[in-house]
Amino acid sequence: MRYFATIEGEEYIIDIGKETISVGDETYHVDFMDLAERGMFSLLINNRSIEAVVEEEDEATSVLIKGELYSVKVQDERTRRLAEARGETADSGGELVIKSPMPGIVIATPAEVGQVVEKGDQIIILESMKMENELRAPRGGIVTRVAVTPGTSVEKDQVLAIIGDEEES
Amino acid sequence: MREDGLLTRKFDKLLIANRGEIALRILRACKALGIQTVAIYSDADRDALHVRFANEAYYVGPSPSRESYLRIDKIIEIAKKSGAEAIHPGYGFLAERAEFAQACVDNDIVFVGPPAHAIAVMGDKLRARETVIAAGVPVVPGTEPGLTDKELLTEAHKIGFPLLVKASAGGGGKGMRPVFEASELENAIAGAKREAASAFGDDTVYIEKLITEGRHIEIQLLADAHGTVLHLGERECSLQRRHQKVIEECPSHVVDEELRQRMGAVAVAAAKAVDYVNAGTIEFLMDKDKNFYFLEMNTRLQVEHPVTELVTGVDIVQEQLRVARGRKLRLTQEDVTMTGWAIECRINAEDPYNNYLPSTGTITTSRVPTGPGVRVDSGVFPGYTVSPYYDSMISKLICYGETRGEAILRMRRALDEYRIMGVKTNIPFHQHMMESHRFHTAQFDTNFVEEKFSMDQKEADHQLEAAIVAALVAHRQSQKASQIVAPGERDTSNWKWYSRWERLRR
Repeated sequence: MRYFATIEGEEYIIDIGKETISVGDETYHVDFMDLAERGMFSLLINNRSIEAVVEEEDEATSVLIKGELYSVKVQDERTRRLAEARGETADSGGELVIKSPMPGIVIATPAEVGQVVEKGDQIIILESMKMENELRAPRGGIVTRVAVTPGTSVEKDQVLAIIGDEEES
Repeated sequence: MREDGLLTRKFDKLLIANRGEIALRILRACKALGIQTVAIYSDADRDALHVRFANEAYYVGPSPSRESYLRIDKIIEIAKKSGAEAIHPGYGFLAERAEFAQACVDNDIVFVGPPAHAIAVMGDKLRARETVIAAGVPVVPGTEPGLTDKELLTEAHKIGFPLLVKASAGGGGKGMRPVFEASELENAIAGAKREAASAFGDDTVYIEKLITEGRHIEIQLLADAHGTVLHLGERECSLQRRHQKVIEECPSHVVDEELRQRMGAVAVAAAKAVDYVNAGTIEFLMDKDKNFYFLEMNTRLQVEHPVTELVTGVDIVQEQLRVARGRKLRLTQEDVTMTGWAIECRINAEDPYNNYLPSTGTITTSRVPTGPGVRVDSGVFPGYTVSPYYDSMISKLICYGETRGEAILRMRRALDEYRIMGVKTNIPFHQHMMESHRFHTAQFDTNFVEEKFSMDQKEADHQLEAAIVAALVAHRQSQKASQIVAPGERDTSNWKWYSRWERLRR
């Protein structure tokens, strides 16, 4: 079966067979085991041993390997076709909703509606855990909505701002 | 009881006025000495390890710390109710509040820490500076606040350049101007005054020598109530972000035995100037020529105390308890020796790839590294919620080696073994630091992390494997889903199916 896994814009086309996995031109012998410990997996890939902790979320799968956390978007051929029919691709596109990562108070909203932002630009400044935290754009686009004003108390996962594709507007 | 409000006496039951890893650390020291323990907990901490490890636990109040861990009245009341004869404040919360130390004494409870008077003096920047100057301790050269512009100009030339013009009421870099040449001075004074007037409503400024490439080196002290003050050598804490230490080590790469004894003697003199008792730390700023200047005294146990424990072999918390029980220190200065090297990485719930944004949530997996030379002080467990109420430190990972190189290699190995899921952590930051040339050669100053260290070059080595794992998990889910709807298979449990699938693939 074929899967499309995307990490930070890089796509891997992965064909899962009975005992082997092909990624592009490379074929690997794999042994994959669900460990009894929640979310933990052991992967032997050409006998190279990898331990991973996996958590599936709505939009992506988080995979922790050796301290590094990878956010992987996985589609199979069916979900990919459906996504394509909706005009989405895995690595970009659609609205990007900036949510509050924690409860706090909005200090400032440096980005305005209609503003074109680059990856890394400040969108919202939130005070929480006694610290000022800058929420930055995960990718470029145009700010289509700023849902809060300075002084707004926000809950975790509350929508703060929305960034749309630049070309769409 | 001494005149300065210090009470020492034998006690057999102690209340820990703290939470998290430091509450556990204190509990462990108490158990080693046969002291009964009383924990306090807020709403957020009913399931915390310090509650479960203690002999007794009492509810103190709602989750926000000002309604619980900062409530002096409630804590004293619980101590009396539970029969606790002593209180250990840990670090943070009430540890450096003179009125808390005094409230303990007023209620005939031993405060495991210095006398209230010492906390008050060292907690006041100006009084602390005057007190240590009188004891012959070097401070960063500077002027008094409130001089006229003309006087400032004269003094500036005496101090020399570069220097800093600082607002007396200042903080957060406001009203602060670096001056590199005499010609810039007048403008800088005017600018700093303007900024200070608008930010604080007070345009008083003073001048201080600017220490460039400064390192933060601190001396650990232990003092008993019988007049003995010892130092346990230095810690290097230059790696900081927003004035928060992130990596500490003992000893320091830039301090040799002669300098250590010299700094130690100065630190002891500073402590004696306030009749200090119990564990404390003198923080120094060291310039590139190894001149050192008093910054402040922390009148409490420090977060980073374990690196000193591993290198000196002294259990600092047990010593605190012995001193509070009125005992004499068992060590002399000659008994204090430093062997090997220890490094501590503070593991915080924050995202190093997103401007170190704090990460809250519930920890789903927590497996700590073990093995030779590894110590983990932590209060978290699977199911623990990292809440916005308290600080974001998850644990302290401390590694020891015979040499600095061995300690670094063990730290790299331990960071690789650490598994925390549910919140983002700064483990990748530490991994990247442990691989950096500047860290290996100990070439850093207090600005290094914020100004010269970037996560951009960190290699994410296992991207392909992560993609494969995610695809395999998705594959497993879809196989499982099709199996569940297949007729005739509904009585087969998922568990059986899983193992059959495993067998089929072999």
